[in-house]
Amino acid sequence: MSAPTTKPTAEPTAEPVRSQAGAWRSIGVVAGREIAVKLRDKAFIGSTVFMLLLVTAATLIPILLQQQTPSVRVAVQGAGAAEVVDAAAVLGRDAQESGTALPPALAVFGVGGLPAADITSVEVEPGGDVERLVLDGDVDAAVVGDDIAQLTVLGAEGVPDELDVLLRAASSQLQVQRAADEAGLTAEQMASLTSPVMPEIELLAASPTGVVPPELLVLVFAFLFYLSVLTFGMSIAQSVVEEKQSRVIELLVAALPVRWLLAGKVLGNTLMALGQIVVILGAGLLGATAAGQGELVSQVLAASGWFIVFFLLGFVMLACLWAVAGSLASRIEDLQATTVVMQVLVIVPFFAALFAMDPGPLQRLLSYVPFTAPLLMPARVVLGNAAPWEPPLSALLVLATGVLFVIIGARLYEGSLMHTSARSSVKQAWRGTR
Amino acid sequence: MTGVLALERVTRDFGDRRALDEVSFEVRPGRTTGFVGANGAGKTTAMRIVMGVLAATAGEVTLGGRPLTREVRRTFGYMPEERGLYPRMRVLDQLVYLGRVYGLSASQARAHSEEMLERLGLSERGHDLLQTLSLGNQQRVQVAAALMHDPVLLVLDEPFSGLDPLAIDAMGEQLRERAASGVPVLFSSHQLELVEQLCDDVVIIDDGRVVAAGSADELRARRGGRRYRVEVDVPPGTDLATLVDAVPGARLVSVDGATVLVELDDSADDQVLLAAAQRLGTLRELARVRPTLAEIFREVVR
Repeated sequence: MSAPTTKPTAEPTAEPVRSQAGAWRSIGVVAGREIAVKLRDKAFIGSTVFMLLLVTAATLIPILLQQQTPSVRVAVQGAGAAEVVDAAAVLGRDAQESGTALPPALAVFGVGGLPAADITSVEVEPGGDVERLVLDGDVDAAVVGDDIAQLTVLGAEGVPDELDVLLRAASSQLQVQRAADEAGLTAEQMASLTSPVMPEIELLAASPTGVVPPELLVLVFAFLFYLSVLTFGMSIAQSVVEEKQSRVIELLVAALPVRWLLAGKVLGNTLMALGQIVVILGAGLLGATAAGQGELVSQVLAASGWFIVFFLLGFVMLACLWAVAGSLASRIEDLQATTVVMQVLVIVPFFAALFAMDPGPLQRLLSYVPFTAPLLMPARVVLGNAAPWEPPLSALLVLATGVLFVIIGARLYEGSLMHTSARSSVKQAWRGTR
Repeated sequence: MTGVLALERVTRDFGDRRALDEVSFEVRPGRTTGFVGANGAGKTTAMRIVMGVLAATAGEVTLGGRPLTREVRRTFGYMPEERGLYPRMRVLDQLVYLGRVYGLSASQARAHSEEMLERLGLSERGHDLLQTLSLGNQQRVQVAAALMHDPVLLVLDEPFSGLDPLAIDAMGEQLRERAASGVPVLFSSHQLELVEQLCDDVVIIDDGRVVAAGSADELRARRGGRRYRVEVDVPPGTDLATLVDAVPGARLVSVDGATVLVELDDSADDQVLLAAAQRLGTLRELARVRPTLAEIFREVVR
């Protein structure tokens, strides 16, 4: 019993499927080369490592600084001095334990709570040379005096800010206490004197708060996008002109349709750019997680979704035009001239987006303009002034522009690619046939 | 087995300039075809059209009677006139890449590349950047790039330029070998002696038109006309040039001492020439002269 063979009828239908697979396979091969070349490129590796270090440092250092409780050695001479320094040490320790301490920078201005500090007192006998101890640097400062109302704080070039604030607080608390004792006030009356209840603040139009101000986050995202489009765009243009200048293009064009070549280049570089961004963001987030800043991590993660969507769309939209800029040049030296329009197309929107950081009609408008949308729409999401339907609409606009640019770009690329003798004009490229 | 590659009335315009004007010729399997012409005659344009790098304004290129598609062209081996490889890519990597572009699988591409490098004696340079190789070795890598995927047809634009004499021999050997295995080989060259040595067929192109095409032997026989070299010791006072006066339909081409070069038209009788030469003095030699390719070339391309 032999089954009827279906082979002859199956063959013709298999034909188009194979050529389709050929397209994807070829695009993959081209993209693979772009990636392999990038991974071997020392400049690329160097810049990635540098940015990684920068991001890691940027997330870790402030956190480390913030968590470091300054320790201060204070020389103490006299009973009043000892009393005040002991009280200051208690206040500093309390601030440290309650975790409500403000960053040192803010504490200096006396806003709200007290700074955390680890105060060690060194007792000095009456008649001991306190000044010498301070000048020699054995202690950070010295407090001298028998009466808490008549104390002198000695410092060499200055008194540490934390110590200054804590000593003032301790001294005023003790003096209030003494005055209250003399006036015969009750414990409650005294408590209301020494720690009055502060008014409660309620915001009616609160913007989302986070560990990092959202404006800063937007700035970081915008900068990453800008840097990535500029460096990878330039690298696409270089890769195109390298093939033109070295004439490899002739071998490639004989075997591949130009569109596949373009698609492979854009795909490879997009993957690398996205990979670089994800690695850098990931490193930052990992660093923040390691430092126990869970709140920061969730804040960034929430914001990065739309950022990555817009990054991808914006990148692809411009990538084809970068390839065209490369194909209009005939040698590396021409690139500066042919890519200048592209550089403007990246830099102007970047600054426009920075100027439009404040919510308003301008920001709303620019968040729909395809060039600025990749920067401003995610920014509006982070700043919390975008309606839920706005990002998808803007994304669609960017996508549509991207499709248009891909079509225009492919034609220009095809038209100018084989003109290896001189720089081509856009007009020639548009008309040019192979 | 590949069929015949045929260009049929292929025309190409660049703006107002017509680079190719109804060019037709064939490249037959198992034969090497030399493509000769002056600079700017249209050789490179024609080869680029065969490879699909340029499109023809009119006309068609077929292989075995079927129009060429990209899929078919991927199986061709091509060496462009202006050599092209990635200067800052490792030799092996770029051969593997090109192999994959030609449609080989990753493992096939690697195996073929390594084999090609081995055969060209460049195995230990596989991991070097191309630009660190000498020009001669870069040229060899270019050859490897054209041959690595066992092409069914070879299109080589000036494969001999820039090669030393030994490399020329090796390249010639390669071409003959490939042709012998049934692959049609088309190559262009300015070195006419080399073409003459290597080629079974010749196509001569001038100003975008094919002025002569066919088997080299036929071409020499046909183009040479009937040309004879006659050496006669003549007595003093006798002018050797008067030889042609006695032969109807003969034309004097040149005189050099005791030797004259005579061309006979279709009506002339070579026996009359023989008799006339004997009458003039002591006949030392009378021989039919077949022109070299270079001579034919100079004659048809004027």
